[in-house]
Amino acid sequence: MTDNELIKLPVDYLPVHVQASVRETGLVKWLLIIISTLFLGFFLFIPLITVFAEAFRKGIAEYFNAFSDPAAIAAIRLTLITALIAIPANLIFGLAASWSIARFNFPGKNILITLIDLPFAISPVISGFIFVLFFGLQGWLGPWLAENDIKIIFAIPGIVLATIFVTFPFVARELIPLMQEQGNEEEQAAMLLGASGWKTFWKVTLPNVKWALLYGVILCNARAMGEFGAVSVVSGHIRGKTNTIPLHVEILYNEYNFVAAFAVASLLAFLALLTLAVKSIIEWKYKHP
Amino acid sequence: MSIIIHNISKKFGAFTALNNINLNIPTGHLVALLGPSGCGKTTLLRIIAGLETADTGKVEFEGDDYFSPVVYGKRIGFVFQHYALFRHMNVFENVAFGLRVKPRKSRLSKAEIKDRVFSLLRLVQMEHLSDHYPGQLSGGQRQRVALARVLAIEPKVLLLDEPFGALDARVRQELRRWLKKLHDEIHVTSIFVTHDQEEAMEVADQVVVMNEGKIEQVGTPEEVYHKPASGFVYNFLGNVNLFHGRIEHGQIHIGEISMEWPENELVINEDSHEQLKTATVFLRPHLLEIDKSPNYKSSFRAKIKHINAAGSQVKIELVASWGDSIVAEISHERFKELQLKKNMEVYVSFDKQNLFITPGLLT
Repeated sequence: MTDNELIKLPVDYLPVHVQASVRETGLVKWLLIIISTLFLGFFLFIPLITVFAEAFRKGIAEYFNAFSDPAAIAAIRLTLITALIAIPANLIFGLAASWSIARFNFPGKNILITLIDLPFAISPVISGFIFVLFFGLQGWLGPWLAENDIKIIFAIPGIVLATIFVTFPFVARELIPLMQEQGNEEEQAAMLLGASGWKTFWKVTLPNVKWALLYGVILCNARAMGEFGAVSVVSGHIRGKTNTIPLHVEILYNEYNFVAAFAVASLLAFLALLTLAVKSIIEWKYKHP
Repeated sequence: MSIIIHNISKKFGAFTALNNINLNIPTGHLVALLGPSGCGKTTLLRIIAGLETADTGKVEFEGDDYFSPVVYGKRIGFVFQHYALFRHMNVFENVAFGLRVKPRKSRLSKAEIKDRVFSLLRLVQMEHLSDHYPGQLSGGQRQRVALARVLAIEPKVLLLDEPFGALDARVRQELRRWLKKLHDEIHVTSIFVTHDQEEAMEVADQVVVMNEGKIEQVGTPEEVYHKPASGFVYNFLGNVNLFHGRIEHGQIHIGEISMEWPENELVINEDSHEQLKTATVFLRPHLLEIDKSPNYKSSFRAKIKHINAAGSQVKIELVASWGDSIVAEISHERFKELQLKKNMEVYVSFDKQNLFITPGLLT
């Protein structure tokens, strides 16, 4: 066979049996679909329905009664305050971190990327514990804090710190890949067209990442309101003072107050559904600008 | 605005992107930075724009010393290779951007901005697509929007990075001519980067040929084509046949051909005996002639390997008797007259004065 004859073979030529083996059969397709649906049904839909069913077991009056408890109101208030502080903090951190990672090269960049994932890798209980070690009465800064009458552990600042810690990857992780993919040519173009750094940020950078940013914020919010482990360690469980919604649910449950526990829990479940809905809308918007 | 480049050097780690570049670009010229990828042409353009800082040296604009990464307010129009249009803005907003971000004092009124943007869109023939987003445009359309966007700030210097690189052949042809025409109209000092010698020759009035971080030659397209300063330039500016020859006693030997060649015509490094004996010989395919019998000129035997008659000239690939591959281009008339076939033995000849010879080996 000469070289010329080799070249003449059609490029798309494949033996029939090879072509068949690269396609899945209908059986495999349906098997995979059924497995994932059953899995989701078992682990998601049944628990979700149970939450609402239990909450309304003794009627609507009893359901709303759970929210008139001053301790429940305090827990909701604390959760909202925590989220209101944690989200802007992580928004700023997420933008700064992803901007620096996507735009600049600096020593230790990979370490920073790894560290951003840390809260996902370690148990939330450990995260809470770190703050106790640091700010607790027996901790490094404990004696100094006690002297100056600053309360962090078993108080709102501790809860906020723990929440910020466990939620800081959300915004950054959404933004980093997007900003890396988009590159910085549009910003360079804006600067060359005479825009200041500030104008470039507001008119070019931010609009380009707005949907990813919002997406990160939504996820961050869901986690901030739902965080249990880390907050549980630093909170001290003082009823009406340092309990967030998840901690309040736990206390009610431990007291066999199931209706109230599930009623308050349904608030978090509702938040989760809302988050999913908003997330879907954002994803759709992102794909259809 | 003229641009004077003094002793610019730039390294990326161990890689030398630019090595002591000196270049003077007079006002109103349309200059091509031409070279293979990795020769430093884009880096040089980015340094001129201020998007990159040089390790040493400086760029002066009309005597106005300028050496700063802050490019803000310099009125340098830079067209990116991939256009870098603002993806969340439509065509109108993209073009209006440079006018809208001006400080309030020097900013035009809304109506004036609208007039200006539309006159620019008319210039680039994009008026009818003013409400489209970059994602909805073709490559050529994006390119024209990118040009209109930089023209909006009335740049003193226009810099274009591979302006036609990402376009298909037909659109590229069209835009080349259009760019040339545009430059004739607005006469702004322009520099564009390209790796396509045809593009540089057709569009530019000055060509700067670069290789491995250095400038090989600066000249008009005619000068660099007909009077190449180095083997690299000759090689880069068109198709070539490249032979390795030996020089001995005033003779040059290429394969089985020997010709008289006065040694003093070659600039030979006296220190190197190796170089004294070797030379690289270049010859363009269209300067080769094919005959069925030897003629009075320098000729050698070769065998036809492949014939490609699709095109304005017939391309013939041959193997010389000493084994080198050769490409010759002859007219269709001559091809018919000779009735050439594959595997035919022919004589290839050339005029001695058409040879371009450099000492040493160049691959």
